[in-house]
Amino acid sequence: MKAFEYATALSTDSARELVAGHGAYLAGGNDLLGLLKDYLVPGPDILVNIKSLPDLNKIESGAKHWILGALVTVGQIENSAEIKTAFPGLHEAASEIASQQIRNVATVGGNLAQHSRCWYFRHRDTVCLKKNGDLCYARNGENRYHSLFTGNDCISPVVSSLAVIFAALDATAVVLRDGRETRMSIAELYQTAWKTTTAHNSLNPGDLILRVEIPTVRSRSAYLQASDKHAFDWALVSCAAAAEVADGKLKSPRVVLGGISPVPHQVGAANSFLDGKTLDDATASKAADMILAGATPLEHNGYKVPMAHALIRRALLKLKA
Amino acid sequence: MSSWPAETKYISKSTPRIDAPAKLTGQARYASDIQADGWLYGMILRSKWPAAKILSVNLDKARQVPGIKAAITVKDFPQTIRFYGEEIAAVAGTSKQACLDALRAIEVQAEPRNDFVVNEDDARKENAPQVWDSRPNVSPGRSREQGTVDQAFTECAAVIEGSYSTAVQIHHPMETHGSTVSWTDEGVTAWASTQGISAVRDGMAGALELDHSQVRVITEFMGGGFGAKQSAGIEGVLAARLSREARAPVRLMLTRFDNSLAVGNRPSSFQKIKIGALADGTLHAFEMNAYGTPGINGGANIPAPYIYRIPNTRVNQSTVLVNAGPSCAFRAPDHPPASFGMESAMDDLAVKLGMDPLEFRLKNDSNEIRQREYKLGAEKFGWKEKYQKPGSSAGPVKTGIGCAGAAWPAGGASRRTQGDAQINPDGSIEFRLGVQDIGTGTKTVIAVVAAEMLGLKPEQITVKTGDTNYPPGPTSGGSTTCASISPTVYDICANALQQLQTQGGIADARGDNWFAACKKLGVTPLVVHGQWQQGLSSSPAYGVQFAEVAVDTETGLVTVKKVVAVHDCGLIIDKLTTESQINGGVIMGMGYALYEERVMDDLSGVVLNPNFETYKLAGIADVPEIEIVLINMPERGVIGIGEPATVPTAAAIGNAVANAIGARVGSLPITPAKILAALGKVPPFTASKS
Repeated sequence: MKAFEYATALSTDSARELVAGHGAYLAGGNDLLGLLKDYLVPGPDILVNIKSLPDLNKIESGAKHWILGALVTVGQIENSAEIKTAFPGLHEAASEIASQQIRNVATVGGNLAQHSRCWYFRHRDTVCLKKNGDLCYARNGENRYHSLFTGNDCISPVVSSLAVIFAALDATAVVLRDGRETRMSIAELYQTAWKTTTAHNSLNPGDLILRVEIPTVRSRSAYLQASDKHAFDWALVSCAAAAEVADGKLKSPRVVLGGISPVPHQVGAANSFLDGKTLDDATASKAADMILAGATPLEHNGYKVPMAHALIRRALLKLKA
Repeated sequence: MSSWPAETKYISKSTPRIDAPAKLTGQARYASDIQADGWLYGMILRSKWPAAKILSVNLDKARQVPGIKAAITVKDFPQTIRFYGEEIAAVAGTSKQACLDALRAIEVQAEPRNDFVVNEDDARKENAPQVWDSRPNVSPGRSREQGTVDQAFTECAAVIEGSYSTAVQIHHPMETHGSTVSWTDEGVTAWASTQGISAVRDGMAGALELDHSQVRVITEFMGGGFGAKQSAGIEGVLAARLSREARAPVRLMLTRFDNSLAVGNRPSSFQKIKIGALADGTLHAFEMNAYGTPGINGGANIPAPYIYRIPNTRVNQSTVLVNAGPSCAFRAPDHPPASFGMESAMDDLAVKLGMDPLEFRLKNDSNEIRQREYKLGAEKFGWKEKYQKPGSSAGPVKTGIGCAGAAWPAGGASRRTQGDAQINPDGSIEFRLGVQDIGTGTKTVIAVVAAEMLGLKPEQITVKTGDTNYPPGPTSGGSTTCASISPTVYDICANALQQLQTQGGIADARGDNWFAACKKLGVTPLVVHGQWQQGLSSSPAYGVQFAEVAVDTETGLVTVKKVVAVHDCGLIIDKLTTESQINGGVIMGMGYALYEERVMDDLSGVVLNPNFETYKLAGIADVPEIEIVLINMPERGVIGIGEPATVPTAAAIGNAVANAIGARVGSLPITPAKILAALGKVPPFTASKS
């Protein structure tokens, strides 16, 4: 990889100043180092270690919302008994991520900000659209892992499992941008990727995710993913559902999918349809139809349609339990 | 003629690996751990084009990178590139980063070509780009015809036709290919991760124009080899050349990326099978049209109709070359794809006949040992209780069972195997054999046989292997190592006892008398020689496996719940290491069944999954309960087990999946996508031109 300087920031302001348009933040490093080793992104002049930033590694519970610092590790989430009770879907999502070793160092911020896993993007010798090339190799090529929905010519899907469950929980990401705290919904955090081939989220250079706030209004949540293997494998499709359930009826339900769109895939009409409904197979199935309407399978990823359909139904029915 | 003892204390019992403590504590030094004085890193520049003419390579800028001590090209120019990843140049330097920087600084002047083909079906087309100017992409393979095939099909009560395919499997041992090579005025020393130290020595000497005696190869420990580590390899020769230029030892271990491209693979297969049986279930007619690709060279033939004898048989097969890395031997070459195709067709035909697939095999497989193994395994597995009609289990997660058989006819032993033992007056004894332990437990086998023959304990035996300064041993290929060294150690021990007894005037120098007999040597150790002896080993090995799976018919996930593996390997030397081979074989076979596949991109010609993220290997969470049933047959002598253990696994799993879901996934690996497609759940794809 390209040579770089290394610094440890002790405050968010100094982190921002050190990065200053030509550097990169270093937390768990799982994604960043892979990108740098394979020269997939312009190499930063400086890596700014943010692991010593104060207070960003805490899980704070609250009556109205919980706060997860950006440096909270996936392993911390997985091992938190309180999170397992308050947000079971978040626990489930964290437990499915990568391997134990990676979960021990991977952070909330890094998981949300991670880049595309498209094997053409990740390949050192293909220059695809996402790398400012002029061609998406996947569209007519090996697209088994790619999107069913996209708003641009790049079909690499969002792979952050935490983004999927956070979106279902209606979480807010608080981002330090130009020295000010900016609040973004998960949809906003990714929306740029919907239309822009080279983007994988809406963050600008120098933006730093500080924390995620999760409202407590949905006491039921579930996360499921389907993969080729039983562990340490990416989701082919992931699905999170969250809602409050009162008298057997869903309140403020959200269903979100990963692995089928550049952004966490959510259909407002389906959420509205589910609101106030009593869950049964037919209702879940109808919601799944609505969520997947308009899916445009490519040559090798059509299987994601029935797979997503099943996950939506199962995740919704899990909310009843 | 020699024969193995009838009563044994260690042979056929369980002895833990004698080097387990060294491995567990990290004391064992693998090829990739070697740090020779002043060693340098070595790395290879590979072609980023699948086809190109390399006009020139300028190494000047690479040599100027700080820390770089040597830079060389692989061939003279112009060099014709025929696959993505073909070697162009190599560098050696004081750090990995220096090498990486140097590789990027190498200036390659090339004419990339667009007329390449990486896909078997495209390569077979009439106007396909030719991989080689001098020969067509498609070459006829082993074909044959016996009986009256067309007529015979009309006589059958049931006939099925099916398409079965297997993917290219890449060699991915835990330790990648490579070595540390030191070239000095005295000669070349190579610490190699190899399955054949003698072959590496001879190959390296040939490539470097040295005498064999000037090359020494050492392999104390190595991290796995499945057929692709039998020669010096391009990387070994490059390491030597770099060492000569740098005047320092060079460690050139391939990266995982490198390992994905050029070290060899198991060819793909596309088998169109038509098979028919008479009303009583007797196989009567068989026809197969098959092809596969090894890459730029190699063959893709498979034995058909594999382990069955069918009176009317027609086989047509061909090898299709594509612009991809070449094939090489891969654990039981040709057999796993042959087993998958044939055993899948067997089950499909059994379904059509309305027969239990196990009964169908017992009827048609004339091999007596497999007959025994099927019956024994069925009992352990509970076949009768578990068998249900295809697709008939309730609920979205369906269970199913399947079985398949194997033969490993290559086997045998290397008759040239030799070894020495030095017996010291204090009773300590050291065996020296120029064989390598590729992780199978070879050192332990030597200790077990020696302990048995001498009446000592395995821990009293010192074993030295993996050095071409020792008497020559076999390459560890074809499951021949155990059958080569066991008779050799037997002979060394017999010679040792005879000399000790003669010299000391003792009737029996074994066991309790051992130390007294050794003491009589006085001050001079006794060195005895031995060699492979007839009558103590044989071949072939047979085996059958049963698999039970659960298939989620909504997500396509296949879970292998249990595998019962029934195998024979003649006289079992060490039960533990034998079982270890079978565990490994089953796990590798399971990866072949469900996960492993080299994916090439048609447009760019690159390997899309040169890593463990997307070249998927079975992990511990995927591994089922494996029950091993061994049939010990001392009367057959020693037979290897490494290869037969992996042959039938994929076929048994494939059949279990078909039994579970009531539909055949005829293509390996059996992914969730293919399960859902086989169940008719995937919407049809209509290509839209945007």
